[in-house]
Amino acid sequence: MTRYLVGQIFSFLVTLWVVLTLVFLGMRALPGDAATILGGMDANAEQIAVIRERLGLAGSLAVQYSDFMGGIVQGDLGDSLRERRPVTAVLLDRLPVTLALAGMAFVLSLVIGIGLGLLAGLAPGSIIDRFTTLFATAALALPEFWFGFLLILLFAVNLGWFPVLGLPPSGLSWQASWHLLLPAFTLALPRSAQVARLTRAQVLEQRMSDYVRTARSKGLHPRGVTRHIAANALPGVLPLLALELGGLLTGTIVVEQVFGLPGLGATILGGISARDYPVVQGVTVLAVAVYISVNWIADLLQAVADPRLRTV
Amino acid sequence: MELAKRSLSRRSLAFALAAAIVGTLLGTASAQTITMAMAAQPDTLDPQVTSATAAFQVSKSIYDTLVEVDRNGDIVPALAQSYEVAEDSLSYTFHLTEATFHDGTALDAQDVVATLQRMLDPETASPKLSEFAAITGVEATDDRTVVVSLSQPAPALIASLASGWGAILPSEKIESGHDFGNQPVGTGPFAFVEWQRDNSVTLNAFADYYQGAPQVDQVVIRFVPDSAVQLQGLTTGEFDVIDTVASADQATIESNADLALVRDPSGLALVAAINTRREALADPRVRQAFNHAVDSQTVLDVAYGGGTPIGTFMEAGSPWMPDSIEPFAYDPERAQELLNEAGASGLSLDMALPQPYENHIQAGQMIQDYLSDVGVSAEIRIVEWGVWLSDVYGGAHDYDLTVIGHTGKLDPTGRLDGYATEADNYPGFDDPEMAAWLESGSQETDPDARRQVYTNVLQRMHDGAPFIYIGTPDRVHARKASLEGFWITPMLDSFDFRTAHFE
Repeated sequence: MTRYLVGQIFSFLVTLWVVLTLVFLGMRALPGDAATILGGMDANAEQIAVIRERLGLAGSLAVQYSDFMGGIVQGDLGDSLRERRPVTAVLLDRLPVTLALAGMAFVLSLVIGIGLGLLAGLAPGSIIDRFTTLFATAALALPEFWFGFLLILLFAVNLGWFPVLGLPPSGLSWQASWHLLLPAFTLALPRSAQVARLTRAQVLEQRMSDYVRTARSKGLHPRGVTRHIAANALPGVLPLLALELGGLLTGTIVVEQVFGLPGLGATILGGISARDYPVVQGVTVLAVAVYISVNWIADLLQAVADPRLRTV
Repeated sequence: MELAKRSLSRRSLAFALAAAIVGTLLGTASAQTITMAMAAQPDTLDPQVTSATAAFQVSKSIYDTLVEVDRNGDIVPALAQSYEVAEDSLSYTFHLTEATFHDGTALDAQDVVATLQRMLDPETASPKLSEFAAITGVEATDDRTVVVSLSQPAPALIASLASGWGAILPSEKIESGHDFGNQPVGTGPFAFVEWQRDNSVTLNAFADYYQGAPQVDQVVIRFVPDSAVQLQGLTTGEFDVIDTVASADQATIESNADLALVRDPSGLALVAAINTRREALADPRVRQAFNHAVDSQTVLDVAYGGGTPIGTFMEAGSPWMPDSIEPFAYDPERAQELLNEAGASGLSLDMALPQPYENHIQAGQMIQDYLSDVGVSAEIRIVEWGVWLSDVYGGAHDYDLTVIGHTGKLDPTGRLDGYATEADNYPGFDDPEMAAWLESGSQETDPDARRQVYTNVLQRMHDGAPFIYIGTPDRVHARKASLEGFWITPMLDSFDFRTAHFE
């Protein structure tokens, strides 16, 4: 177990280092820096040089890289060049929005996906099964930005049930959950389709197994049979759910744009166009950490749900 | 017992929910908040470290300047109730009015001294520093009087002091190293409450505003990049005023009695810059031909929703625009003649267009069509804004043609300085005689002589044609018909909510 944990942590650190180095180099390979963009069309070359000096961008690439890595090791992500405050503060401001959106979308995709998948798998060939297949195909084919605009047009503009913007001006609050429903649904849709398909397939597979035939022939109540099927089918869905959670984080970038949500997606896009290196690096650290921990949690959950995997 | 507790908590939950819903309804019912949607957003609210129009559009409500621009574009007294220029033009004396900062401290001469010194401090690294470079000293001669001394006459200084970057900050906060970028404090009509980046800025009316408290209680500015979403929000009532209207949507708004479309000239000079460093584009006749080849009125109407063509490098409404300079006539035959005279044929050009400016991209596509009518082919290349700034506008000037808008400046030096020296301007225009004119214009204090200098400069810019001059677009914004008194400052394009109210 200890060896396993040490190995995991080591591979996490190596992954983080490789990704951060790539992001560091990639950002600096882009023409222009924060000083050119801050200076805009009005500042002359001399003034831009002064701004560059002030932002700490005048040093060589090697110096900047060692400063950056040195900071990371001490847990310091640096200061945002655009917002002129610590990156940690920037991330803490934006993270709740993305978490709320991704969380809502995850619950929605779980409820819709597993619900439809179970119903369809338990009654193959029924109307609900055919609907689920159609739904899954359609939902996977719809691009998020297009579907999001469609929802805004229908529910916010024509029907007026929802506000057009993803957040009230006061930011995240209980009232915001109403604002977040459309974006969360947009984000959840393709994911719920995948969950529904896999759940359906797992249920169908279980239905064919010997234990189900035995249970039925010995006269077990159909509800009891369903319970057995569900208990054996769901662990197979868990790895997909973990992947989905990781995917939700990247999916929020598009959906946040469509609904004008001030989350991490907006932060990284804004950071890239402003050449705000520390912010882009900070979001990357966070994303890598979240992605890897989600996968760990999924491994653990799978072990809980499926006793056969409990080796330690 | 256990049961009773559970039902109680459920009831209290229901109560809390009901209260939240009622609260929401009441909240939206209060009419004394103006909600505005703007497309861009500030990078910082510290007026001395940015050059972004969006930053000054918002900070206009938070800070005041010594002098300011009125609705006609004239410079009028503000925090300085009057000022005198010394005989030799080498010093300005400002007499301050009574005003209070949002933190409760009173405005005095020391605040102006500290503000200007902060601007001049290299540590501040202001992109606007050069506009203040002539200042050699700032001195408070008494509590309400400030004397600014100059190394040479600087007639453009008053315009800089009237602009957003001339905002006056409280000296106590400057000394303590206050973070004005995130927590702005000024004397303006609205005090800063909160800034949620990518979402909103909230400002509350400042009861002690020196010109009298504003008529609404609160201003909320939402950042909404998409013009379709802005219009949707205006239609559903989420927004009271929006700053971006797509030309295709103008008719929709005009036909809606609850909404009003407001059209006034912007401070922009739209141009397609021509890289005169290129051998094929070095001949002024070729560049004049391009100007004749493009129907700028149509480009303005289609890509920018209407506007006024210009014939030189100055916005249409500017008092500095000479009456004698006409826009180039749309005349493809004349263009062809000029190209033939110059011996230019089979030109194939690289047109770099800046993302995310959709209207510049559309204008570029139209110019591409017009040029192909006279046998000039241009290949469009879309470049991201940071790349445009560093490689097209600056750096290696890697482009043949590009389309951009130059923001309004109160004084012609801001627009024209550097445009006669190859190394200092992106079209690479070079004209020693014009450089001498610019040098004298920046120090000339006699208004008529100064006007003549800039008329000469602008005539040279017309003849030499380092740009295809497109024009000054109308600045079109839309509001609820019931919202009165909101206006956008001429040339500076900043938002003024001081007299805004609902009828």
